[in-house]
Amino acid sequence: MSRCDGLGCREYMELSRRQFLGATGAGIIAAGVPAWLPRVALASEFCAARDVIVSIFLRGAVDGLTMCVPYLESAYYAARPTLNIPQPDSGSPFAAIDLNGFFGIPPYMAPLLPAYQNGDLLFVHACGSTDTTRSHFDAMKVMEYANPNDPVIFSGWLGRHLMTSAPMVPGSILRAIGLNFGLQRTLHGAPDSLPIPKPNDFNLQGNAATRPARRSALTNLYQQTDDPLKTSAITTQATIDLLATINFNGYQSQGNTAYPNSPFGQSLKSSAALIRAEIGVEAIQVDIGGWDHHIEMGAREGILATKLTDLAAGLAAFHADMFAGNGKNVTVVVVSEFGRRIEENGNKGTDHGHGNAMIVLGNHIAGGRVLTNWPGLQPEQLFEGRDLQTTIDYRDILAEIIQHRLANSNLTTVFPNFSPTFRGVTEACASPRGDMNCDGAISINDVPGFSQAILDEDAFRAANASCDPLNADLNGDGEIDGRDIQEFTRRLLDQ
Amino acid sequence: MLNLLERLAKQVAGGTSSRSGDSVLSRRSLLLAGFSSLAAMRPSATQAAPQPSANRFLVNRLTFGWTEEEQLLADTLGYHGYLEHHLNPEAIPDNACDSLISSYLRLNWNPYNLHSVQPQVTVHQVTESTIVRAVYSKRQLLERMVEFWTDHFNVDINKSHIPWLFPLWLRLAIRQHALGTFPQLLAATAQSQVMMFYLDNVISNGTSPNENYSRELMELHTMDVGGGYTQEDVEEVARCFTGWTVHYGYGSGSTWEFLYRPEWHDNGPKVVLGTQIPAGGGFNDGLTVLDILAHHPSTARFISRKLCQRFWDYNPSETLVDAVTTTYMNTGGDIKAMLRTLFTTENPSTAAPKFKRPFHLFASTMRATKTQINPQPFFTGSALRNLYSSAGHHPFYHSPPDGYPDRLDAWSGLLLPRWNFSAILANNGIADTSINLAAFLDGASTSAAVADRIDQRLFGGRMPASEKALLLNYLGAGSPTEGIIRDAIGLAASAPSYQWY
Repeated sequence: MSRCDGLGCREYMELSRRQFLGATGAGIIAAGVPAWLPRVALASEFCAARDVIVSIFLRGAVDGLTMCVPYLESAYYAARPTLNIPQPDSGSPFAAIDLNGFFGIPPYMAPLLPAYQNGDLLFVHACGSTDTTRSHFDAMKVMEYANPNDPVIFSGWLGRHLMTSAPMVPGSILRAIGLNFGLQRTLHGAPDSLPIPKPNDFNLQGNAATRPARRSALTNLYQQTDDPLKTSAITTQATIDLLATINFNGYQSQGNTAYPNSPFGQSLKSSAALIRAEIGVEAIQVDIGGWDHHIEMGAREGILATKLTDLAAGLAAFHADMFAGNGKNVTVVVVSEFGRRIEENGNKGTDHGHGNAMIVLGNHIAGGRVLTNWPGLQPEQLFEGRDLQTTIDYRDILAEIIQHRLANSNLTTVFPNFSPTFRGVTEACASPRGDMNCDGAISINDVPGFSQAILDEDAFRAANASCDPLNADLNGDGEIDGRDIQEFTRRLLDQ
Repeated sequence: MLNLLERLAKQVAGGTSSRSGDSVLSRRSLLLAGFSSLAAMRPSATQAAPQPSANRFLVNRLTFGWTEEEQLLADTLGYHGYLEHHLNPEAIPDNACDSLISSYLRLNWNPYNLHSVQPQVTVHQVTESTIVRAVYSKRQLLERMVEFWTDHFNVDINKSHIPWLFPLWLRLAIRQHALGTFPQLLAATAQSQVMMFYLDNVISNGTSPNENYSRELMELHTMDVGGGYTQEDVEEVARCFTGWTVHYGYGSGSTWEFLYRPEWHDNGPKVVLGTQIPAGGGFNDGLTVLDILAHHPSTARFISRKLCQRFWDYNPSETLVDAVTTTYMNTGGDIKAMLRTLFTTENPSTAAPKFKRPFHLFASTMRATKTQINPQPFFTGSALRNLYSSAGHHPFYHSPPDGYPDRLDAWSGLLLPRWNFSAILANNGIADTSINLAAFLDGASTSAAVADRIDQRLFGGRMPASEKALLLNYLGAGSPTEGIIRDAIGLAASAPSYQWY
């Protein structure tokens, strides 16, 4: 059976090649597949159930020293006389909540504790981009493209992941959404992707009586051209129908924590609805702006405290919802372009710094800890004498997630000119490919399930509610068919 | 490499193409494709038509949307005459627009009065008048330059005290100098109370210099991020601007005017970009920095390149950027002289089409359909403004200091709000805006005549045949109803070729 007959698959092939070549939105179809385009393949050690990824960018440089406080550093308190979070045992109403005896979180981020204690939430500190710029816009570009020194390829790391991996749901119309007015650079190059600022409001307006006729006319107008907008237009048309099947406004969390009413909270709620609907969306990019607090930063109470409260409440609600009961496999990553200056300025604010903290959330993330190679905050330990060093490259974290949780081993393409170090961010796989009874190993007991999945996928689903039939996709082409038999046999014999 | 291929491909397309709509399309595709087969770009011999005229190109680039009237004017004055016409907006009578704008009284208030009232109406007047001017003003290049500079010197209208004071920014910093000289414009922005609040310089003082304005001044306003300044320069420039603030915090006695407070200034010696600034300079320290920056070659090149990208081509040739940069250096940043060079150095047929950002698309549709907007100067919001928000392009709502992007990839994914705007507009579905269909049609009643009229009004008779055939198909046989005609106008404005200019 072929699953590439539909629009999605053809568009996917066309777009991935084209956009990989550096187009900034679309372009004309390349004459042939260049030899250096990597094969779309799954990582060999890929866990059976791939994660949906929700990537969150805190634009404007969040203060990582407030988000994850190194409360045993006296230099922190010396540099932040008014903008510090007091030590956990200080008795202050603003005292940090201890995480591991060295780091803590401000009290208003307490909603994250259940996820942390459950081992699903990981902080990574002194982490970020090693690029030295203190320009927001340069730093964001560097971080999102994750592709230093290459003037030709304008695609984001998440876009390149999608272009080098088979769709999670074969034939998917829409693999990635940027919850934004324009597709964020992180997702540039992603096949079957759209910016959608409000998924609950994605309809053709105007005269209702003529809507079908107008839709048809619009489709024809774009279908017949080689205009660069064609792909966006066709995807838009298909997405109108796709999103119409989801009740965003009536979405009920399966967790016991409500989503905040903030734009961020509602973005995560929409993300949850998209993920629960299983329409094939496997990457969602969410932005929160407004972290650039040069004056009156408000670490204890004020603007930063308010924003971090929102961040924590949103992530906590998402965690409670996604991982409750019939949970979904999701990884959330939270990044920001750089950290802020350690020393507060005279306006009770902070200027642009360097190293930062990052948050990872997921039910297969080795969380409940702060991962760091802590450089210290003494003068001689600082970057350019001013800032926290970056001792863990953010690409290390993303690369491990992409290989282990998103099942893509094309890391040299996703992160060019970079050799990532895996740091144990993800848990070991519970269920490798070929494991058709989800007992965690490949054995002779998997043969019946494998045969059934190939011959009658629906019957397999009916009989194995919690085991993904895609475990049978041994050759990683996104299809379950006879071409998987050889690899299955090989692995079986290897055991 | 990419650039080289594009230039090469453009030359091939420009040198051999004799098509109109389709050659535009070809160049558009090339613009976007990072890599392409040049052979694919050769036009077929079956579609021969004249190149779009240079005059038509100029109308597209100087205005917020082609109209029959502007084309007539350009054809009458000729390419250079039409350019000069728009370079001298003060000589262009603009009574009809002025009359509409005159109802937005707060545009001309002083800071004290502006700060004495609730700001919602002020924000509404500023944004709605900006839309009205883009649609109706005959000084179209001036309006496009105002848009360019409000992007370049971006200020978020919703921050701090800015909702109250924004009219001053628009009137005294931007509009007054939009076609003046860059150094004067820069100085006006630097001494605007709005910029003081936006980039936090308002509380920067000798013991607590704030780097926010200092960094963005060099990175975004003048030299560009790679322009050759260091973190030390950022810190030194911040010291130079200490004490530049606003007269506020005095209760009802606050004037809300720009203020230099000598007691807040760091009067020690500084070094900025290698230039010694001796101790005791006071207020002049900041002026010295502005002078250094305004005359820095990096600034000349950055501003010139941005102008070329906005008005000529997303990827302007180095030749063109060089020429405009030279004009900047030779004229002390005379903006009119730079635009003159920009539009007279290369053959317009070599410039690739640009994608209309939502603000531009909406204005162009309203201009081509002669939409009537009834000003509502005492509202605090409007259906019209909401449609700009839906498209992510409400005037002055961009919060970071880099301004709304002028890159295709930032806008090309979100087509639905564009289609919705034209459909709702054409159906008179936006409160206080309307299209007079009888005037638009001017007697056309059969489908063929209506399609011709739409083609004439929106495309100047150059709507691609394939699009026009679909329009005719939608209009059906015989005489279409008003509803169907209005739909067809909306569809025409949603068609691929109408998204570019």
